[in-house]
Amino acid sequence: MIQFFHVGKTYSGGQVGLEDVTFSLERGDFTFLTGASGSGKTTLLRLIYRGDVPTQGQILVNGRNVSSLPRSKIPYLRRTIGVVFQTFLLIERKTVFENVTYLPRLLGQDLATQKKLAAEALEQVGLAHRLTAFPSELSGGEQQRVAIARALIARPDILLADEPTGNLDPDLSWEIFKLFLAINRQGTTVLLATHDRAMIERVGHRVLTLGGGRLLGDDHLPPGDLTEATP
Amino acid sequence: MTLLQALAYFLREALVSLGRSFRVSMLAVGTIAVSLFLGGLFFLVADHLSRWLARAQEDAKVVVYLEPGQAIDSLPELTTAAAAPWVRKTLPIGADEARRRFLEVYPSLRELVEKDAQALPESLELTIDASQAPADGFDPWLAKLRGIAGVSLVDDDRDWLRQLGAVAALVRGLGLVLGGVLLGAGIFTIASVIRLTAYLYQQEIAIQRLVGATEFYIRGPFYFEGLLQGLFGGLLAAGGLAIGFAVVRERARESLLTTLLAGDQLPWGWLLVLVAVGGAAGLVGAILSLQREALPHSPLEETPVELEGPQGA
Repeated sequence: MIQFFHVGKTYSGGQVGLEDVTFSLERGDFTFLTGASGSGKTTLLRLIYRGDVPTQGQILVNGRNVSSLPRSKIPYLRRTIGVVFQTFLLIERKTVFENVTYLPRLLGQDLATQKKLAAEALEQVGLAHRLTAFPSELSGGEQQRVAIARALIARPDILLADEPTGNLDPDLSWEIFKLFLAINRQGTTVLLATHDRAMIERVGHRVLTLGGGRLLGDDHLPPGDLTEATP
Repeated sequence: MTLLQALAYFLREALVSLGRSFRVSMLAVGTIAVSLFLGGLFFLVADHLSRWLARAQEDAKVVVYLEPGQAIDSLPELTTAAAAPWVRKTLPIGADEARRRFLEVYPSLRELVEKDAQALPESLELTIDASQAPADGFDPWLAKLRGIAGVSLVDDDRDWLRQLGAVAALVRGLGLVLGGVLLGAGIFTIASVIRLTAYLYQQEIAIQRLVGATEFYIRGPFYFEGLLQGLFGGLLAAGGLAIGFAVVRERARESLLTTLLAGDQLPWGWLLVLVAVGGAAGLVGAILSLQREALPHSPLEETPVELEGPQGA
């Protein structure tokens, strides 16, 4: 599903973002990406959705070489990848429905289909009742769930999340983590960047650890008990 | 997304954006309107002047003034020259008729011609048919007229019509330069407004890219916004000219100003061209503003957000 072959990224100022990173994720994997701030987590995620290009190595996503993808093909790659950020990146002037249905709208799907897809995605994140609300009327946790619904609406093969709980309190963070696990159980490959080690150990699964742009560890932790309250 | 759906979406988003940045948009619309109005005004004057000149040239006359005491009948060379194929009409003006015409134009100078019945010489008015002009032009023929003994002066209307034609060309040129400069300013203003709007929407643009929007989909609303600003400016200019035309025509009948500004019917098709020029200017402004220049950093991308070259949807 996602394959990195000796990938490096050096920025124009000489700053090293990633160095000789090699790993692969299979379809349906749930993987944490962790490391201190500046370790290269965001850079790695950006390389997957072609937010940037590597200066070394090759990246395959769904069998496509992302590094050499022409600009005109990037939108089509991104339609197969959902991305969620720490800042929710919702458009304040648009309703939840309008925020969530960006992709169906640009694909020319009719309003009925847009409503159906939005209802499904928002149902999945537990916000089907907030269709007409504006982001400013939502709590932080709700806004992040809207952002997740937006990422899910096209039923992407891959869901990338960059510190999705960074702006949330522990209770809400736990809910969001459980939401990502539920999404993963439906077959979506999830790569979730976080520096919350406690949460990682609580949830378990595969963990890629970055440090100074290098891949320092590739560990498999046993899945935790998700029925317990906030750790 | 079909093209029709895309265009409807672009129009909707462009109108929303115009509403959001109403004041700066109106500034751009106003600049385009003023430039097209002034340019259009010059062209209107030049156009009317040209038409008036064309009509005047159809009735252009060559007037042959005889020396005092000379009679037309006594100059057979003149009679022969006046029978040239390009002379459409010949009108002898005797001394009495010359005096009558003089007094009609200059009644206060009656004293000058009252005492002497022969104060004004006889003359011969020749109406020229320009379509029958000789291969070497009229100049040799005019020189021949001037060389006839007993002819005092040969006055060719077309001399001053040529000068007036030069004035009309100058007016048209001035309109072209002034309108061009102002249109350039209008395009620059629209480009700046669109760029400001793009700044305003930078997060939205980044999100659109993230979910897989093509550049066609991202840029379309901005192109439409520029187009609408230009069209509105063109409409205002055309409307202003049409209203101004009607007012001038109504209030200044039979004056020189009316002749120059509103002597003929308003060329409606030409006003449509003005609106189209406005739209084109707006579109050019939008295209220029969305060149591959860096916009401020987006939270999603380390490198500056760029509006890339157009692609299919």
